[in-house]
Amino acid sequence: MKMTRRQFLASLGGASLIFAIDILAENRTGSSSFGPVPLEREPECIADYTDTDYTNWIVFDPGENVRVFTGRTELGQGLKTVITAVVTQGLEIEPEQLTIIQGDTDQCPDDGPTIGSAACRVVGWGFWHACLKIQNYLVNSTSTKFGIASDSLEFKSGKIKIKGDDKTFLNYSEISTGEAVVIRVNPDSTVSTKQYIDKKILNVNGIDIVTGALKYVNDLKIPGMLYAGFKTPPYHKSITLLETINDEKTKEIEGIKAVEGIGGRVVIIGERYSDVTKGLSLVEAEWRTPTRAKELNIEEELRASSHLQEVKEDEGDVETALKSSAVVLSETYYTQYITHAAIETDTSLAAYDNNSGKWNVWASTQWPHKQRSQIATELKTNETNIRVIAQPAGGAFGGKIGNTVNSEAAAISNFAKAPIKLIYSRKDQFQLRSHFKAAVVIDITSGVDSNGKMIARKIDSYDDLAEGSTFVYDIPNVLTRAFKGNIPYHRAVVRGTSYVQTCFAIESHVDMMANRIGLDPFEFRRINVQYPAFVNLIDSVAENIEYSDNNKGQEGNEGIGIAMVKHGGAQLGVISAKVRVDRVTGQIEVKKICAAFDVGIVVNEPTAVVGIRGGIIMGIGYVLREKIDMDGWGTYTEYLGEYGIPRFSDVPPIIDIKFHDNLQPGGTVRGLGEMPVVPTIGSIANAICDAIGVRFYSTPITPEDIKKALGTDIENLNF
Amino acid sequence: MSDKKSMILNVNGNNHQIFADMNEPLLWVLRDDLGLTGTKFGCGKGECGACSVLIDGDVQRSCRFPVAYAAAGQEIITIEGLGTAGNLSKLQKSFIKHSAFCCGFCTPGMLITATGLLKTNPYPSRDDIILAMNNNLCRCGSYSNIIEAIEFVVKEY
Ligand code: FES
Ligand code: FES
Repeated sequence: MKMTRRQFLASLGGASLIFAIDILAENRTGSSSFGPVPLEREPECIADYTDTDYTNWIVFDPGENVRVFTGRTELGQGLKTVITAVVTQGLEIEPEQLTIIQGDTDQCPDDGPTIGSAACRVVGWGFWHACLKIQNYLVNSTSTKFGIASDSLEFKSGKIKIKGDDKTFLNYSEISTGEAVVIRVNPDSTVSTKQYIDKKILNVNGIDIVTGALKYVNDLKIPGMLYAGFKTPPYHKSITLLETINDEKTKEIEGIKAVEGIGGRVVIIGERYSDVTKGLSLVEAEWRTPTRAKELNIEEELRASSHLQEVKEDEGDVETALKSSAVVLSETYYTQYITHAAIETDTSLAAYDNNSGKWNVWASTQWPHKQRSQIATELKTNETNIRVIAQPAGGAFGGKIGNTVNSEAAAISNFAKAPIKLIYSRKDQFQLRSHFKAAVVIDITSGVDSNGKMIARKIDSYDDLAEGSTFVYDIPNVLTRAFKGNIPYHRAVVRGTSYVQTCFAIESHVDMMANRIGLDPFEFRRINVQYPAFVNLIDSVAENIEYSDNNKGQEGNEGIGIAMVKHGGAQLGVISAKVRVDRVTGQIEVKKICAAFDVGIVVNEPTAVVGIRGGIIMGIGYVLREKIDMDGWGTYTEYLGEYGIPRFSDVPPIIDIKFHDNLQPGGTVRGLGEMPVVPTIGSIANAICDAIGVRFYSTPITPEDIKKALGTDIENLNF
Repeated sequence: MSDKKSMILNVNGNNHQIFADMNEPLLWVLRDDLGLTGTKFGCGKGECGACSVLIDGDVQRSCRFPVAYAAAGQEIITIEGLGTAGNLSKLQKSFIKHSAFCCGFCTPGMLITATGLLKTNPYPSRDDIILAMNNNLCRCGSYSNIIEAIEFVVKEY
């Protein structure tokens, strides 16, 4: 239903003072690639009466309450906390006066996908700019309306008052002219004040989280609701065809309402979730799959099927520069498939509402508007007939942008003519989804001159965009090519984008180059960085990790490594890791991580620090543990334990984080987000090499790999 | 093939009469019949700890615990029984103070497990904490903050 401008304003509250915030489009996302998800913006819902640029709204209601509307959702990154910190301080109101409405497609404009880091940076900082402009607006309009000099006005708890006079005040809403006021802000511009950052605030959902009261999708229940679950097919859905279902054995389970093939999948619908799981273990199904010519090897598949997708960089003359180099080194690195593995599995609640004639879908999502269009396509109906209501997500990490659980729940609900809660099992989470952080094959060749300066580098990256290759080092002659694979699985953003794969290869390779020309890896980097600010960060981590000429420790099995990243606009990060390798068991212990970031102003330190530590721990998972078992046809990982997400025992005893916010000009917020994941990986890989003198070319680096490399693999000893 | 039976569950100090399949996991009875949705489903296989509850003081995985085994007079404590908004437990307060969560989905299980630990060992070392908590997974990686939150309670009280 398209609203008129007047209806829309009335729906927000006729007597309210309304601000439409336009956070400039080019700054909305902070990253250029969202894997498979197209970035075209969907049509708006409430805001479609007007320009789609007004991505967030601030509404001052009669009385003293303020409502904020944003299409961005809560994923655990603390967006609601950041908005609360910013808006309460920016408008001088108390948290109790503020209501934040997030991710309801009937109420909030489409603001693109919620990407952790960018959301806090762009929306948080954007709101700060907006609040400053709103303050100005309020002062000016009050001053004009009542003929009071603006410098004698001040703000307090939702009111404007005359300084020194506590009796005369005006509610913000009284300035309303019945029109929305447009506020345009550029979150990357500099403002002089840092005041709100000094007031740190703890997670606003904290009490609900620790008492179990916060409602995730799975915690909702509506009358007549049934549960649904899938039987996982043996291979990817594009190469399996469901032929027959035998539900003989499930008949005796009372609570089962239906066993049905829907969208090529076997679905069981039941009264209770345990009916569904029991049914799934009993139902039999046959799938047709093509015959396999030979065993598939994922690395070979990636190389064989790839075609050139993009030339990322092409500067200077690489071939000539390589010929004139003092040392040339060519290597190949491999990374594994990785998945998001949020602890909340994909879950959706879909119900048709007879009264409104609309579908309501409660979703755990990073992009409610995108989900709305997917559901509309699935149900072959108009988007305006769908309302997606985002609940807080139990983790997302890029996995809840274009995922299919919500449209599947709607389709099943449409079939069952009942509200459906669809829950993915852990196995589904590994085997039904098509989007993973891609495995990558990276061929890399570099040349260094006799002064230790890198003069040429060539990268061919298979099934990856080779992101993050451009920024860290100053190399005059570069050629970077990205090749696209041809397998049914898609590249996804998983905390850290595809910088992860590229930077593992580059940072390992840089250490190998340093070694070839006899330079210390820290020093080699100081010579070759593109930004002088990096040198300060390198010095910072070198000091904190207690870098010395001999890092080997008393038993001779310790090592120190370093890696660097430049992420987004101008976020710089350097991480140094200290590891200890047990030569007999192959166990790798990360003893210490020292991180130094130049990220501008830190918006809210408590949420930032827990986010950075989380990113470092995820990086440890990528480099030492996690791997999806897959070939070109299917994924076979079934259990969390097999997959290997990091645990308490993987946490380094010391994680030292230093913020340097004055190394670059301009006091802006540049955000943190996924960045710490990236250099954690390279620094640990390099530290392992420093410890035992063996370079590993693929991740994850496991105890088995260590034992094999050191010849301490008892099972395979040659006597 | 139904083993439905009437049973009494003692949860957070209250008795509840329920009618359920004896083999149904306790988790779903808590969530669907008693409306105690703070106990989470994260895997259903005993691997993540999101569904942890205390049964007679022991930490148990409710996703693998047949309801009938919990209906013989045992005292079941769920996250809702640890403390309420106005009356939080020391651990709950400390989790907030130390930002021991991001998305919060693992938090109920973490708090139950930590509560169980401090009951049996009021002064755990860092290694004791890691050992006791090691089968509770947090994908957001809030581990260091959780350890700090538990250590704070150990030190302060
Ligand atoms: S849900 Fe019980 S251990 Fe994961
Ligand atoms: S806080 Fe998100 S899983 Fe632990």
